[in-house]
Parts: sequence; structure tokens; C-alpha cells
Amino acid sequence: MANEVKSSGEVIRALEARGHDASALSPIGVRPNLGEYLALLWGRRHFIWFDSRHRAANQNSRNRLGNLWLVLRPLLDAAAYYVIFGYILKTDRGLENFPAFLLIGVLMFRSTTTAISSGANSMRGSRSMIKAFTFPRASIPISNALQSALTAVYTMLAMCAAIVVVPPFALPQMTWLLLVPIFLLHTLVNLGITLITARIGFYFPDLSNMMSVIGRFLMYGSGVMFPISHFLNPGLFMDIITLNPLFRIIDMARTALIDGAVPDLGSWLVVLAWGVLLTVGGFLFFWSKEANYGRDLG
Amino acid sequence: MAETSDDAPDHDEESTLAESPWVAPERSPVTVAAHNLRMRYKVPRTDRTPRKGIAAKLLPRKHMVAVAAVRGVDLTVREGEFVGIIGRNGSGKSTLLRMLAGIEPPTSGVVLTSARPQLLGVSAALMGELTGAENIKLGFLALGMTPDEADGKFEAAAELSALGDAVDLPMRTYSSGMGARLKFAISVMAEPKILMIDEALSTGDATFAERSKRKMDEMLGAAGTVFMVNHGAKTIENMCSRAIWMEKGRIVMDGDTFDVTKRYRSFAYRMAQNREEEAMEYLRDAFEEGAEQRAASRLTSPDGASEVRSGLPGRGPDPFTGIFTQETAARRFPGGRSDSSTNS
Repeated sequence: MANEVKSSGEVIRALEARGHDASALSPIGVRPNLGEYLALLWGRRHFIWFDSRHRAANQNSRNRLGNLWLVLRPLLDAAAYYVIFGYILKTDRGLENFPAFLLIGVLMFRSTTTAISSGANSMRGSRSMIKAFTFPRASIPISNALQSALTAVYTMLAMCAAIVVVPPFALPQMTWLLLVPIFLLHTLVNLGITLITARIGFYFPDLSNMMSVIGRFLMYGSGVMFPISHFLNPGLFMDIITLNPLFRIIDMARTALIDGAVPDLGSWLVVLAWGVLLTVGGFLFFWSKEANYGRDLG
Repeated sequence: MAETSDDAPDHDEESTLAESPWVAPERSPVTVAAHNLRMRYKVPRTDRTPRKGIAAKLLPRKHMVAVAAVRGVDLTVREGEFVGIIGRNGSGKSTLLRMLAGIEPPTSGVVLTSARPQLLGVSAALMGELTGAENIKLGFLALGMTPDEADGKFEAAAELSALGDAVDLPMRTYSSGMGARLKFAISVMAEPKILMIDEALSTGDATFAERSKRKMDEMLGAAGTVFMVNHGAKTIENMCSRAIWMEKGRIVMDGDTFDVTKRYRSFAYRMAQNREEEAMEYLRDAFEEGAEQRAASRLTSPDGASEVRSGLPGRGPDPFTGIFTQETAARRFPGGRSDSSTNS
């Protein structure tokens, strides 16, 4: 047709040419620009906070032991690894407090794998909310990351308590306070990962099947169960691993909790850089598909 | 319906015969405008025909087919209009509503609205583990209220939902009607300017129907716009000021509620009687009758010299009507005949 109307501006002009009052119209179902989007998201901060708190409180509501699992599950995990790596494989050679070493590795690692998998399932899992209400969709992965962080607070407390009560009975030191900034940096890294996996998981739900493989690689690459220096000589591979933010985070926590020392500046900078990079990149990556998350992809 | 001259978007509602339906104001600003909306889905289609031989068994039975859910809809709706959308299952009503609400972006076309529409669909529980009360709060916050505003409106929402003590039970224990009532209460209390209801109220009981009707009339009085999807003509007839009949992703007729629902009823009656060929015949006639109205509502650029043309000059009847003839002949699933591609 000759007078085909395509853009929204043309639609408004066409309506006005017919004597309609079309002044209030604006396009819908399109992605808002970044500034508007951030403002919208800020307006939903109460929603995000409420949602994450209730998710955290209700995640075990179908279990008999309820929220006891918040501390029970990580401790059982750590115990299982202790039996395998401490008693059977004896990887503890040369470590004076292997239980603490393992506890920190396993529990901090778990919080990241939770972030990855909860991010991957978040968009499809919240489908009914997405269809019922219009809100900036990034609220969902952010709320998921916050939920993981709230859960991790209990895990961290359980971890500290366990280090004290399990032989060789390490006593709390001043450097233990550094766990707080380490935890915040860890949360920032997890948030970035959640935003990325949220978009990937929405378009490619198969991701959840690959999660265990990715998790396995990450686990061995982060020195969760044994000191990496026992198995690797300095070289390219070692360099790659030391750039791994998760390895750094776990290493920092061990330095503060076991050695009673302040982690070196390089570690702080590497982790901070990763956190900012992942979160900003992840946010942009998620936002670019904002208009599409209401789609039913089957 | 044949005299489409006064059937343009700003036609008056004086001729409405039934008493209770909402009467729209004669002139008001446009709140929803859609131009040439289309939606296609890629869906897997399984071939059920029995096959022999190993090779045939190994070949994939699933093919991705493109299904056109909405095939070009033009729509202009004004403040104070109560639009009912009727049509059979799978006619594209819900898809159209989701696109108008901005939940799903259309494959092509433009949607403009004057405010964020609030869509009320028949979906699962919002957050099954949370109680009704917590879901009310969550919904309010999701719609952008502050915690204080949410608390202030909570009582009224709980009251409107008429859930009683059940408001403190987990939402997964709710029946579909209860869930719909809760969602309706949340949506209406948030005072949307544009409300879209997708069959959600059909699960509610009589008391709730009355209550929700009153609430919607209130909304319309306050310069709101309401859309309602239903496959029953009666609900639409009783409430709406304008009706749109959809079939195969296109608008068959758009106009006065009474005229449109009357035609739809006749069609649905023939279908129910298993007089399918006759029904299709009837549908084709209705579609041809609506052609002029569709052409009139189709937006064209004001820059061109030609004003709104009536009908489609030189092209005879809309070629789309052919689909009804084909259907009578073959009676096949519509998605099956659109372009399909094999995924290997």
C-alpha cells in the first residue's frame, strides 16, 4: 500500500488526521532506554527486597525440618567432603587445619553454584509473575541473587561456628571481620553471574543440564577441596586459575579465617574488577532482551 | 452492521438495545492504538501417522511449524470504552491481549497506549508458597507501590477478593476461581487506567461477578478503558459497549456489541449443531461484511492524497476469506498448512 504506516510517530499522526486525540499515546512492549530502566528498577526496590526475603524464608517450607536446612545442608555437604578428602584420599598433607580449609572451600563455592543455577531457572520459574504484572524484568534475577545472599548469611555463620567447634578448635580473630567485605564482593560476583545465566536460561533451558559439568570444572579450578599448589606447578595453567574470581574469594576467606592475616591487595582488586565487570556486563546483557521475557518459548 | 459509515472508531452507542451494558462516551482521547499487529509462533508439531521401517523410525517425528496466532489487526480504542473480544478457542484473542498489554512484543506491528495496561489472565498462582495476603502485598509492590501504599490498600483488596480467612492460606491451595479473584483484586486496587481481562472472571461465582462488574463500571467512569476476552457471547453482551469478533487471528467484525454478538451467536449455534459447512459459510459472509469496517480502521498516512478508502478497490473480497472455504473442504489444523520447516 502506498500510505503504509510503520513507526509509532506515523500511527499518532494518522490518528490525529482522523480527528482523534492521540496525544497521550506512547509505544508499549518495547525496551526502555537504560536511564529509564534503572529508574524503573529503583522504583521496584521494595518489590525486590520483599520478594527475595520471602523466597529465602519459604525455600524450605515443604521440608519437615524447614529452615533448619539453611545450616544443615551446607554442614552435611562439608562433612561428606571431609570424609572423602580428609580420611580416604588424605589430601590434607601439610595443612594444619584441614577441616576449616574444606569448610570454607565447599560452603563458599556452593553459594556461587546456587547463584548460577537459580539464575538459569529464574525467568521460567517466575513466569506467572511476569505474565501477571509489568515490572522491569531484571527485578527477578536481582531478587534471586539477593535470596541466595540472604541464604548465604546463614551458611557463613554456620561456617564460622563450625570452624570454632571442630578440631583443632580455631578461635575467632580480628581478621574474621574481613569476611564481611569478602562476602559482599562474592555477592557482587554472584549477581553478575545470575544476570547472565538468567537470560541464557530463558532462551536455552538446556543450560540446567550442563550446570553440573560447568560446576565440576569450576570446583576443581577453584581449589575447593585441596590446595591447588599441591598439584600444579607455576605456569600458564596456574596463572589462569589465579585469575579465577572464585579461587581468589575462597583463598581470601581462608587467609582471613585460618591464617589470621589480611589478604593481599592484588586479590581484592582482582575480585572487585570481576564483580563490577560481571554485574555491569550481565545487566546490559539481560536488559538488551527486556521486552522478550514475557514470551512463551515452550 | 452493513452501514459501516457510522461504524468508525468514534461511533455513538445510542442504538444499544440492551440496558445493562456500559455506554461509552461519544468523544474521548485514544488510549490504545494497534496497527497491523502480527504474531507468529514456532511450535513443534508431532507427526502421528504410523510409519514402517527402521529408517522411518529414526527420522524425527517433530517438525517446527510456524503458527500465525494473529494476522494483522488494526484497532483504536478510546477512554471509557468497554471492549469485549469474542471468538472460538484458538482464534487469537488472548495473544492479541498479551500484545496490547505489552507482555509479549508482536512479531510485527505497533502498539501504542496512554498508560501501562494491567492484564489479568488465567495463569497459575503467582507465588504458590506465599499466602494470599503476601501475594497481595507482592503484587502491589510489583506494580510499583511503596510499602506504605501497599499496606494502605491491603484491606480493600482483601475485601474485594472476598476470600475471607483463605487469604492467609498458601496460594497453591487456591481453586482457580479464588486465584482469579485475588488477582482481580490486586489489579483493580492498583487503579490501572487500562484493564485487560482474559477469561479470568469466568471462573468466579455470581456474587463476585456482580462485585467485579460494579468495580469495572467505576473504573470506566473514571476515564478508564477495559478489555475483556470471553468465548461466551452473553457476558460480553451484558457488559461491553463494543465487541470484536475474532477468528483465525483476524477481526471478523468490530462494532456495536449487540450486532456483533448476535452474529457470533448465530455462528456458534451452527457450529454447536455440527452444521460446520453452514457455519463456515456464515462466517465468510460476516467476514466480508466486516471488510469495510476493517479497511476504515486501518491507519494510513495522512500525507498521501487519498483519504480512507472504503473496501479494497480492484481486489474484490479479501483473499483471506478463502481460508474459510478451504477449511470447509479440508478441515485441517490451520498451523499445519502454513509454511513448515524441518528441524534436523
